[in-house]
Amino acid sequence: MKVLPTKCPACGSQLKVRKLFCQECKTEIEGMFDLPRLAKLSAEEQDFILQFIKSSGSLKEMAKLLKLSYPTVRNRLDEIIEHIKNEEQIK
Amino acid sequence: MNQNSNEKNFKKRSLAQWLFNPFKFIAGYQALLIGLAAILLTSLIGSLSNTHFNGVLDAQAGPEAPLWFFLSEGLINWVSLVIPLFFFGLIVSRSSFRTIDLLGTQVLARWPYLITAIAMLPDANRKVLDYLIAQYAQGHPAIPINHIDIAIFVVAMFVTILMIIWMLALMYRAYTVSCNIKGLKAIITFIISLIGAEVLSKAAILLLASRL
Repeated sequence: MKVLPTKCPACGSQLKVRKLFCQECKTEIEGMFDLPRLAKLSAEEQDFILQFIKSSGSLKEMAKLLKLSYPTVRNRLDEIIEHIKNEEQIK
Repeated sequence: MNQNSNEKNFKKRSLAQWLFNPFKFIAGYQALLIGLAAILLTSLIGSLSNTHFNGVLDAQAGPEAPLWFFLSEGLINWVSLVIPLFFFGLIVSRSSFRTIDLLGTQVLARWPYLITAIAMLPDANRKVLDYLIAQYAQGHPAIPINHIDIAIFVVAMFVTILMIIWMLALMYRAYTVSCNIKGLKAIITFIISLIGAEVLSKAAILLLASRL
């Protein structure tokens, strides 16, 4: 499966969803939809959030899993939080 | 903020990262234990050649003293820097941080002085220093030194300067990682803390020395 692009490769702006398609019945829905909030994050950020949830929200557990120190993992989480807040402000 | 470079750095594992930012991988109690062991070893080796670390960034030959005094110097230097950094962390950092990470990473950042203590071990260093002091005081030093003594002394000085630079880089990294402070704020608060810590550690060690 191809990676879902979230930013325009030409100008870097946030992409919107114009068309949705059902593989089973071939129904197509056209319109203008916003990407879900988490889908707007980069693949690495989404991966981090998934691992965070899998670790029951324990940064200590995540640090062990990623073989990184606790503050490094916490700082990365803070960066993602800041990124989400910035996206919300732009909106 | 360059998001892509942050993501690349987050996953990066290189020798340079281990040398200049080991705190990416080690912090908290683990760093504290390794760092304290390094301070203990540095004090032990330093006491053999009477090398005193009598200030946050200082390393110099000095008078004989009991082992506990050398150990106290190491601990005072560490705590003197942690105190101002802790308060700056509270004021400047936008996220919460664990005191154990600051304590652990800062003590581990002092490990290059173990190499300085080893470099200062040969008797030649003391001989050259005594020669220089005698030359300054009397003009005609009676202490004989040879080319090998001078070479060893020069290497030791070179190693000491390199270790100070390395330790400074590690201390700064330890601060930015453990308190999550970046950019100009980090640089300014670190420099102010370093100056304050130098004064604090010097005063505390002088006070301790006066009670010997």
